[in-house]
Amino acid sequence: MISVQQLTKGFDDLRRGWVAALDHVSFDVQPGEIFGLLGPNGAGKTTCLRILSTVLRPSSGTATVSGFDVVKHPAEVRQRIGFMSNNTGIYDRMTAFEMVEYYGRLYGLPDDLLKLRLDRLFETLQMNDFRDTLGAKMSTGMKQKVSIARAIVHDPPVIIFDEPTSGLDVLVARKVLATVQSLKDQGKCIIFSTHIMREVEKLCDRIAIIHKGAILAMGTLSELQEQHQQPDTEELFFDLIERYDQQNQPSAAGFAPVAG
Amino acid sequence: MNWLNVKLIFLREVRDQLRDRRTLFMIAVLPLLLYPAMGIGMLQMTLLFSEQPRTVVILGEKHLPPPQLLDGDRFVSNWFNNPADADKLKVITDTSVELGGGGLNAARNLLLLEQARALRERIEQHTAVGNELKQAETKQRERLKNPAASSDESLAMIQQRIGQLQAKQVDIDHELMDLFASSQIQVLIVVPDGLKENIERVNRLIVERDNSQVGGFSYPRPTIVKNRADDKSVVAYARVREVLDAWEGEILRQRLTAAELPEELTKPVGSAPLDLAAEEQISANVWSKLFPALLVIMAVTGAFYPAVDVAAGEKERGTMETLLICPATRTEIVLGKFFTVMCFSMSTALLNLMSIGATGHYMLSVAGGMGRGALAQAGVITLPTAPALAWLLILLIPLSAFFSAMCLALATFARSSKEGQYYLTPLLMVSIGLTVFCLSPAVEIYPVHQASWFYSVMPVVNIALLLKALLLNPGNTGALIFAAPVLATSIGYSLLALWWAIEQFSSEAVLFRDGERFEVGLWLKHLLREKEPTPTFTEAGFCFVLIMLAQFVSMRAFGQSIASATPDEMGVQMMKLMVIQQLAIIACPALFMALILTTSVRQSLRLWLPNWKFVAVAAFLPFALHPLSLELMASMQWFFPQLPDGATRLLKAMGDREQSLPLILIALAAAPAVCEELAFRGFVLTGFNRNGRTRVAIGLSALAFGAMHMIPQQVFNATLLGIVLGLIALRSNSLLPGVIFHFLFNSISVVRERVGVQVADGHAEQFRQSFWHWFVLLEHGGLRYTWLTLVISGIAASACLWWVWQSGREKSTSETVNNLFANGLAPAQQHSTFAS
Repeated sequence: MISVQQLTKGFDDLRRGWVAALDHVSFDVQPGEIFGLLGPNGAGKTTCLRILSTVLRPSSGTATVSGFDVVKHPAEVRQRIGFMSNNTGIYDRMTAFEMVEYYGRLYGLPDDLLKLRLDRLFETLQMNDFRDTLGAKMSTGMKQKVSIARAIVHDPPVIIFDEPTSGLDVLVARKVLATVQSLKDQGKCIIFSTHIMREVEKLCDRIAIIHKGAILAMGTLSELQEQHQQPDTEELFFDLIERYDQQNQPSAAGFAPVAG
Repeated sequence: MNWLNVKLIFLREVRDQLRDRRTLFMIAVLPLLLYPAMGIGMLQMTLLFSEQPRTVVILGEKHLPPPQLLDGDRFVSNWFNNPADADKLKVITDTSVELGGGGLNAARNLLLLEQARALRERIEQHTAVGNELKQAETKQRERLKNPAASSDESLAMIQQRIGQLQAKQVDIDHELMDLFASSQIQVLIVVPDGLKENIERVNRLIVERDNSQVGGFSYPRPTIVKNRADDKSVVAYARVREVLDAWEGEILRQRLTAAELPEELTKPVGSAPLDLAAEEQISANVWSKLFPALLVIMAVTGAFYPAVDVAAGEKERGTMETLLICPATRTEIVLGKFFTVMCFSMSTALLNLMSIGATGHYMLSVAGGMGRGALAQAGVITLPTAPALAWLLILLIPLSAFFSAMCLALATFARSSKEGQYYLTPLLMVSIGLTVFCLSPAVEIYPVHQASWFYSVMPVVNIALLLKALLLNPGNTGALIFAAPVLATSIGYSLLALWWAIEQFSSEAVLFRDGERFEVGLWLKHLLREKEPTPTFTEAGFCFVLIMLAQFVSMRAFGQSIASATPDEMGVQMMKLMVIQQLAIIACPALFMALILTTSVRQSLRLWLPNWKFVAVAAFLPFALHPLSLELMASMQWFFPQLPDGATRLLKAMGDREQSLPLILIALAAAPAVCEELAFRGFVLTGFNRNGRTRVAIGLSALAFGAMHMIPQQVFNATLLGIVLGLIALRSNSLLPGVIFHFLFNSISVVRERVGVQVADGHAEQFRQSFWHWFVLLEHGGLRYTWLTLVISGIAASACLWWVWQSGREKSTSETVNNLFANGLAPAQQHSTFAS
């Protein structure tokens, strides 16, 4: 469903010079699977997901979604993914219903199908109470629901969540996670990026630990724990990162050339 | 392109804007409430406002001749064009104050009188010193003419005395100035003793037709003191002048009657004006001044806020990314937003104009009805006619489109609404500057004295000027001819601006600019540390800006040194300056920037040896292109404004046979060939070509090259040549063919000019019989090419250019890819080696 091969993305930074935000990253995600991208802030998670959603172009490497290359066929790719991030904006001067309907139309849904999907989405996500509330007046929880509805209104086979729970209170976060789980049960192919271990343990079938643009380890949680003889996910994570930083100490001044 | 998406985005944005209080304020509240409110305010002001009377002091009132000038503390109101103005001047005279007049103001009047007397004293001193000075100067002149004449004073002594007197006069003037400034007097009139008697005496002399008396007509005249730097004094003086002129006219009339002479005696010509302006034409004149300026300013203001909101605002609120992920393409998104901005730009402009027009019309009619104040004099103004308004609507469309696209592109670049406002402010300022330019009555779309289509292709200015002409007279055929070029070019500019906006919207660097802190020091360090083999796009652009700035700054210095040269030296001086200008202003910035900012000067400036075929083509092509370029420019003469003096002089110097040919060739061919190629085909083109878009790079570098030539004719010519030169440089990947082409092309121009003069000067007949006459014609003392030459040149030039376009095409594209690859990775490698 999603296939990423040797993906690299660099940019020019004022302070650090040429920086590789992504360094030869490769992974695959299957339908019905939740793939977790675990890494600290600035690890390159968002860059990777933005390339997958075709808003950024890779410096080198390839990525395909449902068999479509993100560089060569961006329109097809965009048609098949839903993208939701922690700071997904909600238009202040639009109501919940207008917002979801607007995106449904942009995705080219015919009127009758759109109406059907809107009704079902507002029902399942329990959004009928604030159907006609303007974005500016919504609570964080409401906004997050609208965001999810917006991302899945066209029923995409691939859904990307970029830190969907950051900044949310526990109750709302729990509901978001439940929604992700139910989407998986519907057979969607899901990428879920986060820096919270608990969410990974709870949701993800497989994870990749990403740091400074490189994948340090990848596999199911139990595989990783076995490989590195570390039963605690949190310890495992910090071990990997510390070891990596030590190895690359000499060139710590700038960016790190990494063996992927 | 899916127009459904465009429509969807457009409708959403419009609804979004309409739900925004700021936008509603701009397009609805402001025009509908503000202007009427301002109108009411102004009406009240004109009703309540009464001008403060200004103080005029007259010393020596009793010497004033009849008829009566003063009426108490006023001038007699008959002497004013508008009798009501009499209240605006308060007159204090020595007689009235001495009689104890002035009532409550007696103390103040006394003080004013005292000040006036002190002033009179200084004035008398001034006159006395002036007379002495005149005498001394006469003496000096006599001594200089006749040094042998014996005298009691030596020349040195006289000169010393002149110096002293001059110094004294300056002192007195200063004192006068200070005294006048510290007094409350706006105008002081000093009437000399015996003025009345003197005038009567002269009247008698005229009646008796007696001009036997020597100096009989000369007598002391009144002095009027004013201060031109003080507005109050200026206004008061203008009124006093009006009164005195009318009064003096009456004295003159009485004098002529007494002498039994006709009144027309003093007006030997006495021309009378015949004003043909009808009422509605006066109105049209007002609208034609007001509306174009307002239309431009309102169109840009109307585009300003929605553009910031739909572009920068969307980024700021974090909704941009969501929109980019949806299936709508960037072009569709930009078009949707563009139509929104344009819609608001147009409605803002229209609503504002309507409101201003209606308010103004209403106010004037109200003021006219009340018959008071300055507004009443303007009379009733009719609204513009329907055809004029139709033109206003038609021209508003491309104007709004242009501003909307420009605003959108600039606002897209900004990270936040606040930043967007900063970026758009310059656009607003430039538009206001342009409208002020268009307001000048001398600037017209069809200048009568010099046929020129130049203004009709200038962005914004062309629309404003056409509208100005059409509002004055919608049936104006002279102006209607320009409608086609104005509309065509304006639509062209709008499309270009729109293309730029789409470019901005497709650029990762623009859409995902991080919020990093910008520090000048850090940025400079970055620039010097992270050097790349070739310049970046921005660096190339900056190089061009630097060259233009240097040229601007040097203009004055060069102008001065040319002005100070004697006519004989002028030519040589000009040639020297040309060389200095080329080296210092054009070559230096490019060279230094290449040295400081790039790692490979050679690659940046294309200092490679080319394939010999390119050299051969570059050496042949000028001969084929020169006739075409010359005839093109000659046939385009109607389009451009007249050449400025400087350029004409330079052209003359080129054809001047007194000048040595080598010097001219160095100044006008060799120096530009090397320096301009280094800058424009070297640094600038390499930078522009960094992202591998050959055509854009050639086009931009050619435009930059053209813009540097300042004079419209040369800008046009140089831009066309810049395209050819850019193509050659890119395909050959060497500077040398360009230098050869440039040198030969300029040399041919110089030589043609000289040979033309030479042949016309004596060999004309001989020339007409030679076989050259098949190719070259002699016309008005210059050489022109025949049709035969043009056809041959056209074929040859096309063949050459086709060959250049085709050859090395694959090579150069693969090279760009290599370059891109190198640029992408080289710094990384370089940095890692540096770090380890």
